[in-house]
Amino acid sequence: MATNDPMPQKSLGDKLQSFPKSALYLALFVLVTIPLFFPVTLPNKPIEASIDFYAQMMKLPEGSKVLIASDWTNSTRGESMGQMEALLRIIMRKKIKFVVYTIADPQSPQVARDTIRKVSDEEVKAGGKAYEPFKDYVILGYFPNGEGTSAAINNKFLSICDGKKDYPLNSPPRDVMQSPVLQGVKSVADFKFLIVVTASNSSTVVLERVTKVPKMFMVTGVMVPETTTYYAAGQLMGLCGGVKGVYDLETLMQEGLNVPGPKEVTSEKYSEKIPGFPGMPPNGNGKGARYYPSLHFALFLLILVVIIGNLGMILSKKKAS
Amino acid sequence: MRYDHDLASLSVGAIATIGLYTILYRENRFYRFFEHLFLGLASGWALVAIWQETLKSLWWDKMVGATASDGNPAVMGYWAYILLLPVGLMGYTVFSKKHNWMSRIPIGVILGLYSGQQFSAWMTRYIPGISGTMKSIVPTTTQFFKPDQNPVKGDLYGSEALNNLIFIVTVLCVLSYFLFSFDVKSKILKNASLTGRWMLMIGFGAIFGTTVMMRFSLLIDRMYFIWIEFIKQGLLHMK
Repeated sequence: MATNDPMPQKSLGDKLQSFPKSALYLALFVLVTIPLFFPVTLPNKPIEASIDFYAQMMKLPEGSKVLIASDWTNSTRGESMGQMEALLRIIMRKKIKFVVYTIADPQSPQVARDTIRKVSDEEVKAGGKAYEPFKDYVILGYFPNGEGTSAAINNKFLSICDGKKDYPLNSPPRDVMQSPVLQGVKSVADFKFLIVVTASNSSTVVLERVTKVPKMFMVTGVMVPETTTYYAAGQLMGLCGGVKGVYDLETLMQEGLNVPGPKEVTSEKYSEKIPGFPGMPPNGNGKGARYYPSLHFALFLLILVVIIGNLGMILSKKKAS
Repeated sequence: MRYDHDLASLSVGAIATIGLYTILYRENRFYRFFEHLFLGLASGWALVAIWQETLKSLWWDKMVGATASDGNPAVMGYWAYILLLPVGLMGYTVFSKKHNWMSRIPIGVILGLYSGQQFSAWMTRYIPGISGTMKSIVPTTTQFFKPDQNPVKGDLYGSEALNNLIFIVTVLCVLSYFLFSFDVKSKILKNASLTGRWMLMIGFGAIFGTTVMMRFSLLIDRMYFIWIEFIKQGLLHMK
């Protein structure tokens, strides 16, 4: 039935509470995009957890071996890829050999393979050494039973390598036990660290079952609160969390630790100077540095919208009473 | 920043990203198409990876053996691995009303293995945290703030002791919230329980904050891919 009743006028409070969703999405898209075109360097004070991660990695002697659980895929590229890249840069510059495995997702080994090649190529362009698959690192691949695999890693590491093949690019599959990286490795304790780069609960599975080797985690932002309790309890030697963790590592790689300079990063926990790699990639242009300003813009919008929504609610309540 | 991607793959990635983001406007066929495409690709990839990287190398090759080639050593086949096949297949009898009892055998094995690990897993995960809760709340020096330069190692400064006290009070209040969930008459316990609830809310707020930050990071990365990797570097060949 047609009616000529005028539409009730919305009060200011109601209007403030009913912004169109599409306008908010548009504002968000625009706000996160602008800083990508006009990179700015935000001041940064690395947190203790990231400093520990950096210092522990930098203290490793050349030729050491580390075990990496690469439990992330492109779905968390925004955080995990920056973490993996920062980790690989340190590893390659320190000439550390590494073994990669995954218990999280069948896509993870390929994502790790691509990232390693990308970082290796960038290192070569910057005057570094190319990291050769199978010789400098070996990828064990995907293991579907995370709990069982982690227990096996702790109790009999070589049992998980038995029969496994690496699939280096443009080469036939190779038995991982033939890789020079695994020569001399008898137990997981032969690795200096187990580093878990993860976007899932694989970090907890590892934490519960692998005890024979010191651990460090690189986790997504959502996992930081839980993982921080393990770091605070001394179960982890270092922790890199979210985009902030990536930016911390990039800052430390640039400025070093306890190295005098205009942007000196200090830590009372470490008395020694741990120089970084000034002038080397990402040279202030890594994923952490690029994404951090956009993240601030997005958070600014979020806070603004929360304030406006609450203001609208207060005004509406006042009017109703 | 470009690596090993030709423009075609970048374009497909960009179109798929935009297609998936169209859900923000409303449900549409473009979104549905890319959603199904993504699911199909992920499932196909998983199937091949599980065969190639797990079943073939850890079961099939060990069962049938392999001759030496391309630097790989010869492997003697071991027939007993065939016994794993019926055990695995029993899992699929869950779909049959008549034979689904058989599915309980492999499930029981998995549950048994998992349960056996749980005791030590729990201890390894939580005991360090519990012992880490035992913090000193008595300062060992009269200085309140820890100096930036050369603090005395081993000394507990006033500010640190205060931090520890806040930590312990929080732990006790949160525990009392869960322990005294029934009607309590003691005012102290009631207030402790209420404080615990507030502390939990603050904690959940922090977790929500980090969750939002993570989601934003994923959006930023997609925007970086479209604007910088695809348009700026891929289409316009700018650095």
